[in-house]
Amino acid sequence: MPFAGIDIGSTMTKVVVVDDKEKMLASHIGPTGVEHRHLALKVMEDTIQKAGLQFENLNFIVATGYGRINVPFADKQITEITCHARGIRSLFPSVRIIIDIGGQDSKGIKLDAEGKVANFVMNDKCAAGTGRFLEVIAETLGINLVDMGEIALKANGFVQISNMCTVFAEHEVTSRLSEGAGVAEIVAGLHEAIAGRVVNMTRHLGIEKDVVVTGGGAKNVGLIKVIAGKVGFPVLTPPEPFITGALGAALVGKDFYDRGVRPAGEREKKEVTFFA
Amino acid sequence: MEANQQIKTTAVKGTDTARLVRAMVKNIYQSAHEAKANGQKVAYMMVASQYDEILRAMDIVPLPTENYAGLCAAKRDMDRFLLKAEADGYSQVLCSYARIGLGFDSLRKELGHIPEGSPDGGMPVPDMMLGSSAVCDPRFKWFQATSRYLEAPTFGMDVVAPPPQADLNAVRDYYIQYQRDQLSGLIEFLEKQTGKKMDKERLWEAIRLGDKAWQIWYDIDRLRVAVPSPMPSQDHFSIMVAGHYYSGTQIAVDFYQKLYDEVKYKVDNKIGVIADEKYRILYGGGLPPWHTLWIFNYFESFGAVFVIENVYRGFDPVEVPSHVKDPVDYLAWRAFLRFTRYHEKARAHSGSPLVEKLLGLIDDYKIDGVAFHACRSCRATTIGQTHIKSELGKYTSIPMMQLVSDMVDLRDYSEAQWKAQISAFIEALEGRGK
Repeated sequence: MPFAGIDIGSTMTKVVVVDDKEKMLASHIGPTGVEHRHLALKVMEDTIQKAGLQFENLNFIVATGYGRINVPFADKQITEITCHARGIRSLFPSVRIIIDIGGQDSKGIKLDAEGKVANFVMNDKCAAGTGRFLEVIAETLGINLVDMGEIALKANGFVQISNMCTVFAEHEVTSRLSEGAGVAEIVAGLHEAIAGRVVNMTRHLGIEKDVVVTGGGAKNVGLIKVIAGKVGFPVLTPPEPFITGALGAALVGKDFYDRGVRPAGEREKKEVTFFA
Repeated sequence: MEANQQIKTTAVKGTDTARLVRAMVKNIYQSAHEAKANGQKVAYMMVASQYDEILRAMDIVPLPTENYAGLCAAKRDMDRFLLKAEADGYSQVLCSYARIGLGFDSLRKELGHIPEGSPDGGMPVPDMMLGSSAVCDPRFKWFQATSRYLEAPTFGMDVVAPPPQADLNAVRDYYIQYQRDQLSGLIEFLEKQTGKKMDKERLWEAIRLGDKAWQIWYDIDRLRVAVPSPMPSQDHFSIMVAGHYYSGTQIAVDFYQKLYDEVKYKVDNKIGVIADEKYRILYGGGLPPWHTLWIFNYFESFGAVFVIENVYRGFDPVEVPSHVKDPVDYLAWRAFLRFTRYHEKARAHSGSPLVEKLLGLIDDYKIDGVAFHACRSCRATTIGQTHIKSELGKYTSIPMMQLVSDMVDLRDYSEAQWKAQISAFIEALEGRGK
């Protein structure tokens, strides 16, 4: 009785397959990017194969993420907020606040005692506080995005980056470099700025224990350290933060199935179409 | 799509009476043009300034400049005015209503005539401008800035209210006296501009009509506690035209009576805004997104109806003591009582009159969720909104959301972002088992 969740984000497509005991059978992460958009079905098929299953074996498929609307083989589309809540709650039953730092947006989600979404906040239409912000600046600094966390941990203090507009921050970083500031201190400053913005946004919900950080941002040890400092207590991160949305989607699919909801019609084993 | 094609911004209404409002809006500007042609005095003014009935009593034709900004946004014809004001040096964080007004006046001066194709024929040059500190500071300062573009005397009237912590018995007389002085100053100014004395009997008549219209409007909103909802918030954002822009006239009274009859019929016959009402939403605050009012219909496509709102009918009916015999005294008393309506409740409970009002609405209207609209350029309705939302969360566990854009500046709006948030909000409501 397997269930699948597919999370199509701005930079990656993630698929998780679970069984009816909510045990993860397989997961897979593939690229989304412009040139890879046609690969969502392939990522799905690779994961199913990893689980030793066939497409037809899946009882329910839920799509989430910004590309969820156009998944022809999904039985239902559910937002990342609900899916992250369900996925994280399955990993951390004590969670009350989730901070999701994704490639294109960041969110704060508050769960009630039963694990239901009680409230949420999202960043406005601006890249500040998202993975994209760090990606752009990493390019400017000539370093790899994945190394930024470790680099920041080696910093002696941080350089204040006051501008949260990605374009202006890029200028600010260039000008700090020309003034002689160290790369590590600049990266630490960027983490300070992002953490400040994301935590402040989440404070609108009322921060309480436990706090779990997920999404690509949770892979950044430097950022996690700063977030914990601002929250005032240690925060938790999932073993693989990229897949919590897809995990939640698979579990939401199982919840639907348990409530008697069945796939509405034939699934179309076609690639995702992003544009009409 | 052709660049000049009209984009639909408005919402499908729930009542037939609300559909009559469009003609009333057109009439506001048409009347102002006709009045100018006939030598009657026309005043730029701010609604809900507590002086509305005085203008009616003195035959001054009101020209509400804020409303004109909303109209431009609904017609998606705001950019040329916003950009003109910004080119003249006004910051993008200044109230966008004011920017549209200033941009319009600037363009009219530059061109020497009303800008081509202005919505509803544009606004004529006023004979005077009446600012007001009620609600926010741009309403007080805007017309002073407009003096850069046209020659018309300006009067800014201060409208005051004590903080919730104040001992009302101790401060009441001071506040009412001050308000009376402000109103008297305005009347003196208007008498000078019109060259005639204000007739107190006529003022009493305008007040009587104003109070009657607002009482019926309040009664309509009380009918809206019904399940299913007989009238949605998108209708409220139309029908408020009668209460604010026709205040003190028989037109407003007749309009609300007609609307009352229709809403009552819907309640008696259990006719809802939509066939399957699943969620009852409170519009918790913030000016409406005039550029995208169809968003209310988008909520309805998920079974969510905005059944009541906390904006634009800012005052419940109040009872001015019977010993008040002078109409100007009455206006001062009425303003004080309106603005302190929730003070005692607030002192006894949350400390915030607004939280008390919202909690009352949540309870009375069987609300499932609250949506706020944060407008980037409206400090008055947006600063404190997050705090109010948090405070509300101490007393209720229903889902709340905050959409961010602006009341008229489309550059602050992102449809994709809104739809993503609305989907999550609907799922949060669904998750609560309704």
